[in-house]
Amino acid sequence: MTESLNKFPGAMWPQFHRKNDEHLNPYYTFQDYRQTWGMTIFILMMTALLPLVVMTLIYYQLIETSINTESLLRTERLASNARRAVTFFLEERLAALTFTVNEMGYDQLTNPGHLSEVLRNLKLGFGGLTDLSVIADSGTQVTYAGPFNLEGKDYSNQPWFMECQQHSACVSEIFSGYRDVPHIVVAVKSMRPDGRLFVLRATLETERLIQALSSYKTGEHADIFLVNRNGLLQTPSQFYEGESHHMNIPLPAYSDRTRAVMSTDRNGQPILIGYAFIDTTIAPTSFLLMVVKQKAGMMKVWLDLRSNINWFFGVSALIIAIVITLTSTVMVNQIFQADRQKAETMVAAERNCQLASIGQLAAGVAHEINNPLALINETAGYVKDLFTIKQQYKEDPDLLEHIDSIIDAVERCGTITRQLLGFARRFDVQNQPIDLNEMVADVINFHKKEAEYRNIKIHVDIPETIPLIETDRGKLQQIILNLVNNAFQAIANGCFLDIRAEMDGPEHVRLFIRDNGCGISEDHLNKVFEPFFTTKKEGQGTGLGLSITYGLVQKLHGNITVQSKTGQGTTFVVTLPVQIKKESQS
Amino acid sequence: MKVLLVDDEQKFAVMLAKRLALRGIQADVYFSGEKALELVQQGNRFDVAILDVKMPGIGGIELKQRLQELDEQMKFVFLTGHGSKMDYAAGTHEAENYLPKPLKIDVLIETLNRLTEGQPGVSDIDG
Repeated sequence: MTESLNKFPGAMWPQFHRKNDEHLNPYYTFQDYRQTWGMTIFILMMTALLPLVVMTLIYYQLIETSINTESLLRTERLASNARRAVTFFLEERLAALTFTVNEMGYDQLTNPGHLSEVLRNLKLGFGGLTDLSVIADSGTQVTYAGPFNLEGKDYSNQPWFMECQQHSACVSEIFSGYRDVPHIVVAVKSMRPDGRLFVLRATLETERLIQALSSYKTGEHADIFLVNRNGLLQTPSQFYEGESHHMNIPLPAYSDRTRAVMSTDRNGQPILIGYAFIDTTIAPTSFLLMVVKQKAGMMKVWLDLRSNINWFFGVSALIIAIVITLTSTVMVNQIFQADRQKAETMVAAERNCQLASIGQLAAGVAHEINNPLALINETAGYVKDLFTIKQQYKEDPDLLEHIDSIIDAVERCGTITRQLLGFARRFDVQNQPIDLNEMVADVINFHKKEAEYRNIKIHVDIPETIPLIETDRGKLQQIILNLVNNAFQAIANGCFLDIRAEMDGPEHVRLFIRDNGCGISEDHLNKVFEPFFTTKKEGQGTGLGLSITYGLVQKLHGNITVQSKTGQGTTFVVTLPVQIKKESQS
Repeated sequence: MKVLLVDDEQKFAVMLAKRLALRGIQADVYFSGEKALELVQQGNRFDVAILDVKMPGIGGIELKQRLQELDEQMKFVFLTGHGSKMDYAAGTHEAENYLPKPLKIDVLIETLNRLTEGQPGVSDIDG
């Protein structure tokens, strides 16, 4: 358990240790495994999560739009219903007053006993009335029926009275007046028999109106109240009462029908406002009905659901991210390990092959040296014979000639060993200018004897226009040696080997090594550069020669291709840059 | 004993012939298989042929086969500058007749004598 916990950080942030393995770099599939790992995770995450995020956002948007529309509709309906109730409340009482005035006339109404009777009947029939009074056109109260003794009061300065003068009826704002109790005044105008005007006024209890409004209140976040057209509160508001009884949300613009809009309260919280300007058929009023709902309250169910969805989404995304990261880490790590193993094998094989070619070279050289040595041996033996068998050496003029012959043979050995040393030394040297012609001649030299014995014609055509190539001498030598070796193994006695070069643009040189040997079948053609691929019998070939050649060409920033036809021969084409660029070398 | 010596290394062949001559063995020297073959085809007979294995054109092994067709009695000694004699005829009775270069003259003489046992020897020619 503890062990797997310790491994977890490594799985989430793997190291891909590549210390001290610069020599393996050419064989790695990717340059930067961390970047590959990051890209894999990024692409997988995007593929897995992006559609999910987009779909969720679209879903949220749709739900929210539909909830908003629905909420506005509901608020508007609520405001409309409440408006009808308020309008009905006022109209009913105005109609009763109108009926009373028309039915009884001024004389009956100014009779205090009669007026009290009318008040009692109205209270019985409609309720909500406090008192009833008749007011003369001068504004003086003529007759009063009700609990307060307000007879003789002058109402000429009251706004409702002035409005009543202009219209046939009026509804006042809610105010405290002389009695210091909030109330509404409704009044209708009529004519005395003498042609003068009088007003029948009734005072309505606001309590009934407030109760009627409260019954429309749904939910704890809803508020419903009346304001006048200046925003002064007429009935109490639970949430939106500001300074000096004004509501603290903006007053909506006038509209003759019920409407609902989105807005924000003073705290910046989103709210829905349903409103209606209230007018009765008998008299206009200054009331504005407000239905205010806090959006958060209405959205609570949805917000709770959304919060759950968000949690679910978050946890899912986290699980997906962990699974993707772990999977990517395992996969990329396995690729990395496999690549590393492959690279190590390739490097080891390359080293082995290098040793093998040095061994081959040494064998070739030993053979070359053997002939002059044999001559030295015979000549020296002969001189010794002269000393031991014949006693005539003092006068023998041949003696000098034989000694010269010995010196000659030693000279031949010297030449060969010098060549060998030169060849071996070149393995260490890094980039330097190389004459391709000279190098091919060097390599061919080691196969000269074999070519002679096997009657193989070697034709070299490297024009003088080919410039010096700035490259690694040892590697290029091994490339050519490997390809020539390969050709020698493929061709029968009496065949030919053709080596030629040409420019490929100003910056590249192409070297063709063509033989008319057995060729390579089409099936095998695309496998010849694979490591351990061989058509030779077991034990006769490692199958590494061409794959190492391929690796070496890559190291020199070139490329190698092969064309072949079974029975007609094979051509290897090596393309090399004239100069290896410094930045690409590192 | 009549010896045919074929080697493309001319100086070596001449020197070896001289050393054989000092030891009383007459050797006809040729520098290519073709020339040697021509000579035998013309009717010249030899007891032993000393052949270099690797030569341009007809090599030692092929030359042996061709010469044997012409003269079944002929014996052969091979000279090789390449590796040990075991490379060529490992495990066969012929292995003993492969002599590596540089050559030990006594071994060559011994081999020649062994091959020509029961035939007119060196002393016979001298005599």
